[in-house]
Amino acid sequence: MIRHTQRRSPVWGWVLLILATMLVYILNKPVGSLPAIGKLLDPVNGCWASAEPVNKDFSADLKFPVTQNAKVWFDKRMVPHIHAENDHDLYFLEGYIHAYFRLWQMDMETRAAGGRVSEVIGEKALAYDRKQRRKGMVFGAENSLKAMEDDPRTKAMMDAYTEGINKYIASLNYREYPLEYKLIGFVPEPWTNMKTALLLKYMADDLTGSTDDMALTYLRDYLPKEEFDLLYPKRIDGATPVMPSGTVFDKPTLAIPAAPPDSIAFPHFKPADFGEKREDGKGSNNWAISGSRTASGAAILCNDPHLGLNLPSLWYEVQLQAPGMNVYGASLPGAPGVIIGFNDSLTWGMTNNYRDVKDFYLIKPVESDKNKYWFAGKQLDFSKRIERIGVKGQPDVIDTIDYTIHGPVTYETQNAKDGNLRKPLAMCWMGHKGTNELLAVYMLNRAKDYNQFVDAIMNFQCPAQNMAYADRAGNIAIWGQGQFVNEWKDQGRFVMNGTDSATLWKELIPMRENPHVLNPAQGYVSSANQVTTDSTYPYNYTNSGWVNLRAWRINQLLNGMQKATIEDMFKMQNDTYSDLAAGSLPVMLKVIYKPNFVGGDKYIETLKKWDYRLGAESEAATIFQVWWELLYRDTWKDRMGNVPGQVWPLQERTMQLLQLNVTAIGNVMTPEQKINAILCTKVSQSFAETVDSINKLEKTIGTDWYKVKNTTVQHLAKLPAFSFDHLKIGGWGNTINAAKGDHGPSWRMVVQMGKEIEAYGVYPGGQSGNPGSKYYADFLHQWVDGKYNKLDFLPNTDKQNDTAIKYVWTVHG
Amino acid sequence: MRFFLSVILIALLSAAAEYFFPWWAVAVVAFVVSAFIRQKPGKSFLAGFSGIGMFWLTACLVHDSANGHILSARMAALFHLPNYVLFIVVTVFVGGLVGGLSAWAGALIRPKTD
Repeated sequence: MIRHTQRRSPVWGWVLLILATMLVYILNKPVGSLPAIGKLLDPVNGCWASAEPVNKDFSADLKFPVTQNAKVWFDKRMVPHIHAENDHDLYFLEGYIHAYFRLWQMDMETRAAGGRVSEVIGEKALAYDRKQRRKGMVFGAENSLKAMEDDPRTKAMMDAYTEGINKYIASLNYREYPLEYKLIGFVPEPWTNMKTALLLKYMADDLTGSTDDMALTYLRDYLPKEEFDLLYPKRIDGATPVMPSGTVFDKPTLAIPAAPPDSIAFPHFKPADFGEKREDGKGSNNWAISGSRTASGAAILCNDPHLGLNLPSLWYEVQLQAPGMNVYGASLPGAPGVIIGFNDSLTWGMTNNYRDVKDFYLIKPVESDKNKYWFAGKQLDFSKRIERIGVKGQPDVIDTIDYTIHGPVTYETQNAKDGNLRKPLAMCWMGHKGTNELLAVYMLNRAKDYNQFVDAIMNFQCPAQNMAYADRAGNIAIWGQGQFVNEWKDQGRFVMNGTDSATLWKELIPMRENPHVLNPAQGYVSSANQVTTDSTYPYNYTNSGWVNLRAWRINQLLNGMQKATIEDMFKMQNDTYSDLAAGSLPVMLKVIYKPNFVGGDKYIETLKKWDYRLGAESEAATIFQVWWELLYRDTWKDRMGNVPGQVWPLQERTMQLLQLNVTAIGNVMTPEQKINAILCTKVSQSFAETVDSINKLEKTIGTDWYKVKNTTVQHLAKLPAFSFDHLKIGGWGNTINAAKGDHGPSWRMVVQMGKEIEAYGVYPGGQSGNPGSKYYADFLHQWVDGKYNKLDFLPNTDKQNDTAIKYVWTVHG
Repeated sequence: MRFFLSVILIALLSAAAEYFFPWWAVAVVAFVVSAFIRQKPGKSFLAGFSGIGMFWLTACLVHDSANGHILSARMAALFHLPNYVLFIVVTVFVGGLVGGLSAWAGALIRPKTD
């Protein structure tokens, strides 16, 4: 008893109390990038609150600030079918539902757009945030916000949408926050119309962001002119433009400007000025087949925009019903309306157009005055824009950005690490202009016929898109849509001289003069990021990344199709036949130098038996892809030395040069023949390297194509635990099923516009953004397997008896 | 008896407290309960550990079984744990440790009633 009393000395009690308090303190505080463990593990309020019951009954009776009663029917895939009696209620509910299922994603994407990531994850995102600010993302979004709020239709649409999101956010307490907020340690903030504007700029930047202007500026000096034109043709031989050859274009209403002398137009760079890395791969396919060439007699439209593969998915399926509108399709959480889809009259799809709408100007600062630059013989003041970047756990970072007559100076001498090109360049980008794509969405969703479709897309200015169209009357059409500038030849293809007014952007081309075709004789329209027109289109334009391999394959298949069915379309979207392999491999096998076969005979045999399909389990696909990559790299690396940004000739151009197959050696060779000879030599060298690589693969992960290319659908916070990798899917960027490493078909859609609309779709994700929900990635495996969901297009009435409906929200005002 | 009474009180009161207060309310409950129910300090630790542990285990199991282990499996992967069971074990252990230490401190500091 005595010992007991002694042990109960309060001193030990206080020590233990301090220990316990410290334990709680540590568990309640984030350490480094680790979240507060106690707070996170807490089964009531922490991560466990995101464990959504698999049988959760989503049905509810809700009281909202809507003006009339409304209904939301959720089908068994959790696609909401929203029925409202007016626009306000409709977009309020769409906002509420986007937030309900995807809030964290919307928050993160708009932070990423506007350079506000450091606020929540700290200094490691600062360089990224600065880059976003310096390219004028916030500036562009502000301009577009003004345009959107100036139009009463889009203003009302955005206001209601924002109100709906905020209604949801206001209903949350810590327990109900999406899991990622608890993991990263921040809280949702109120939504604004500006955030929607930022999200739309994010898409514009994603689709018009990459540039090869700087590298090409260097290359045109580095390579002899003849060789430059040979390697970087503006239209590749055999290109099948989006507008079928023979399409007659209207006479231009604007005079085509004459190009200024080269010495005035373009500056010159040295290799030492560079270091930028190039990105590629945002390609997409769409096509529409006229009723005259389908089995059912109804027009069919197909679309699969290739974008970053992420979870939560970029897209969210939704049906929207209001008086005069019944539309279904893929929406972007963060923006109201349906972006790609169909309504009860027509359907539309988009692919990236890639006409250059982003130019760079070399700025000449005034040496004696840092606040001025030279333009047209005068000294002009930079207008200064101050960007304040919040950084978690640190004071704000202030970045002052110089704006010129062309746009913001993104690349500066004193900020080499931000820009890599050590010259002050100003960016002139269509995305900086105040454009209102949301109005196009608003009108598209309500369009009844071709004319209304055209009226709608006249508001779609940036990012430029190839808009395919089909309707229930059997019409098909395609527009190379966007706002473009009346350019002189080669304007903007290279970095331009920023001191001369001759290089300024001229007037805008009236959008109705954009290339388009309605019901062409060939019976179909298609686009896959190739050049828009043949050379008969009157206006000048330049390229920022046109590719041809998918377009060749699509046109080849569509040409041969007389009685197309929906099944045929599924097969086509999942086609993995490689035109690159079919065009290159026979030549490679022919010119390879025999003695290099050591150890590689069996691979040659495998390749000889191959059908040129990049199937998921194909070993031949792996051997070819590795061999081709090495051949391509070995050739251009040697030929071009340290070319900035690795802007090497297109793969298909390389293939064409390989196909020349010069036999007569010894005579004077043309530049083409010289390159062909180099390629042929490199075939053997690269094959020896290929044998090494394949041997290594055999000993490690295996040679199945899907294992080697590793298509991954990654969580937006890059958490492998919430991501899916090594998906068993075939294809690559050069096949219609363009499933690359982290890019691919983000929304496969097939719509047959018959008397009954028959529609199918699938995206690599699920309707819920919650990693603890069974709806998080439930479409992913269908997508991998090339399977589709039938889309339940409900009639526009306030009562439904569709068996697919699982849950109902009854909404009262 | 005191032991079981402590365990049950700690479990029930902390469950109630968590619905109104942040997660660390469980530490306060364990501390207060063992300050008022007289026990040997070692037993108090066990009572705190078991009380919070039982409550957290129950809460985890309720969530996890309804959820079909979707969340627990993903969280386990996030923390590089081999399976979802271990994620539950870690959760319960952390809760138990907090409860145990707090209860132990409570038992040693408890007001003199005799």
